[in-house]
Amino acid sequence: MRKPAMPIPSPFQSSIAKPGQGKVVLSLLPPNNPTLTTLTYKYPLKLVPRTGGFVPSPDSSALSDTCPSNPVHLYLLTYGGGLLPGDHIEVSITLEPRTRMVVTTPQGSTKIFKTTPNNNGTSPNVIKGHRDQMPANKSLSDMSQQTLDVNIGRQAALCYLPDPSVPFKHSRYAQVQTFTVDATAKGAERSSLCVLDWVTQGRTSRGEDWDFHFWRGRNEVWAEDDKGKRRLLLRDSVILDDESEDLQDTSIPDGLEVEKKDKTYSNTTHAGLENPVDLPPQAPVGLTPLNIIAERTRPHGVVGTLILSGPVFEALGSFMLKQFQSQPRIGSRNWSDHAPSSVPEPSLSFKGNVTWTAARVRAGFVLVKFGAKDFETAKHWLGGLIREEGSVIREFGEEALCCL
Amino acid sequence: MLIQDTQDLEAEVILLESRLQDARAQLAASEYPSPPSSWAPKEQYNTNNKPTTSSASLHALLLLSDSALPLGSFAYSSGLESYLAHNKPSRTAPITSFHRFLKLSIASIASTSLPYVLAGYRQPSTLDTLDNDLDASTPCIVAQRASIAQGRALIGVWERAFRVSFARPENPASGDTAVAATAIDDLSDALKSCLEEDEDLGPKGHFAPLWGVVCRAMGLDLQQTAYVFVMNHAKAVLSAAVRAGVMGPYQAQNVLASQVLQDTMMKRIAREWNTPVEQAGQVVPALDLWVGRHELLYSRIFNS
Repeated sequence: MRKPAMPIPSPFQSSIAKPGQGKVVLSLLPPNNPTLTTLTYKYPLKLVPRTGGFVPSPDSSALSDTCPSNPVHLYLLTYGGGLLPGDHIEVSITLEPRTRMVVTTPQGSTKIFKTTPNNNGTSPNVIKGHRDQMPANKSLSDMSQQTLDVNIGRQAALCYLPDPSVPFKHSRYAQVQTFTVDATAKGAERSSLCVLDWVTQGRTSRGEDWDFHFWRGRNEVWAEDDKGKRRLLLRDSVILDDESEDLQDTSIPDGLEVEKKDKTYSNTTHAGLENPVDLPPQAPVGLTPLNIIAERTRPHGVVGTLILSGPVFEALGSFMLKQFQSQPRIGSRNWSDHAPSSVPEPSLSFKGNVTWTAARVRAGFVLVKFGAKDFETAKHWLGGLIREEGSVIREFGEEALCCL
Repeated sequence: MLIQDTQDLEAEVILLESRLQDARAQLAASEYPSPPSSWAPKEQYNTNNKPTTSSASLHALLLLSDSALPLGSFAYSSGLESYLAHNKPSRTAPITSFHRFLKLSIASIASTSLPYVLAGYRQPSTLDTLDNDLDASTPCIVAQRASIAQGRALIGVWERAFRVSFARPENPASGDTAVAATAIDDLSDALKSCLEEDEDLGPKGHFAPLWGVVCRAMGLDLQQTAYVFVMNHAKAVLSAAVRAGVMGPYQAQNVLASQVLQDTMMKRIAREWNTPVEQAGQVVPALDLWVGRHELLYSRIFNS
């Protein structure tokens, strides 16, 4: 079988200047030979391609008439399997027309290590000495960041089903994933993408329950025409912020001090109010609950989004919509009925403790949002649905689902 | 007469410039030192020493905060109905459960929509882009329908009722409001000339940015615009709660009048005051699920 030719990554690459940056270009050389014409990366990022793994059989591929090329598998790795405060991973991937790529994270979840407000000897920044080139802005330097920029050409397809990100207690993380598709391609020639973005409550084995400071995940799909004019097609943005910085003097980045202030603030506010009689005296929904993020994600231990678009994932998108619409109706009884016999609502959800919704939004995008009680539940549910439908495995092979 | 007019206009320009400076200064200070008191409308009018502006904007404020404003807001529960179905309140504390929802709902509307309201007010000429971007950012059909229906209703109210009184050239501060009025007209024209079936990505008329632009066209200041937007949302949720049987009308008014609600709203507005629209996002992921699953309810009395 033809295998994509691999360039030898040069340690002297000058185009990659900053740590954590990586660049990949996948081209289709004639007649039908996917080749990584660029592959560069720098510590702490590592990009490992795996080639010749899966060959879609011409019969089973739904789009065999367009002669899809073999998918190239790219592993996204970071040293230590996670991100330290101040790490900034920046990956740029270009998929030239008619190429296909599978991106996964073989290290398991993306661990977001904790941010230490005061850099004492125990912080990981000091252990890994050369990673702590801190910018002037303190809150930015505390943050782990990851940007992924993927350009998907005409008839090209990206299948990106990574492990969830697991933010540790007190961590800060921001992720921006931008996908650019060809605006001039129509119908079956459109670019295709399947992107999963999910986040868990942390290390449940250590009792973490949404105990991080900040997690932001933003996924954008832009259409760009041949003149370079860009238009936003889809933006999915989730912000999980414990809002501990709100009451903080920017000059004193001291975690303990903040917590103290937080408490006094909430106490005085509650005491000083003339609470209306209807309000519970110290409601758990008061002004500053102990854990805002947990309050806003309850009862879920993991939340996520799956974005599907383009001809390659059309079948999967329709399948998800059909599954969603065929879920049992909620509350065939009068919903305002306070009957004590009511069963816990999640049991009505399809296949276990997953609350989810699917919608065909605009430009043919199918957006699936879900919440589940834990990672395993979500994984089995989503993996089960994608396997049951089968087109991802037919087009990209079982390895595309290695994280599910 | 002419000289008099010119002098008036000059005075107006100076006034507007000083207000612009004030606004810029406020914008620059990214945090409110003491949000609740810093922008009480009273103070501003005293310093402005312009009773006419005050009464005109007060009038507009009352119009826009009226629950009889024909936007059809009563048809939407913003996810409350679905929330109640998903979280059967225990016998003891249905009110507690509702308070949780109200708080989450206000946080969510402030983080997802308020930046678009503020951006619409600050840059009315970017209305079409804001409309596109908000459409791209709305994750479910149910919320999208609700936003578009109310946005288009707002255009209707503006065109049929308010424009005559608020977009006249002799109106004070017309230079300021004319930009906004033009922006609404442009979007309205684009909506009329767009055939929905073949243009999936055409203009939609989402509510939030239009609210900002209409408020500007009617002479409200930015704080009033933001506050009345969030307040109207709270009113709609409480009204839905009354009709859903969660609480009685007196209880609902009690909650609306409460200091807790005021503080919550002020806090959320202050938080999102400088949030650029690119950074807007959902802070309550569970709410997206409830709103999206509204379609699965066996029986429904609301459209969202």
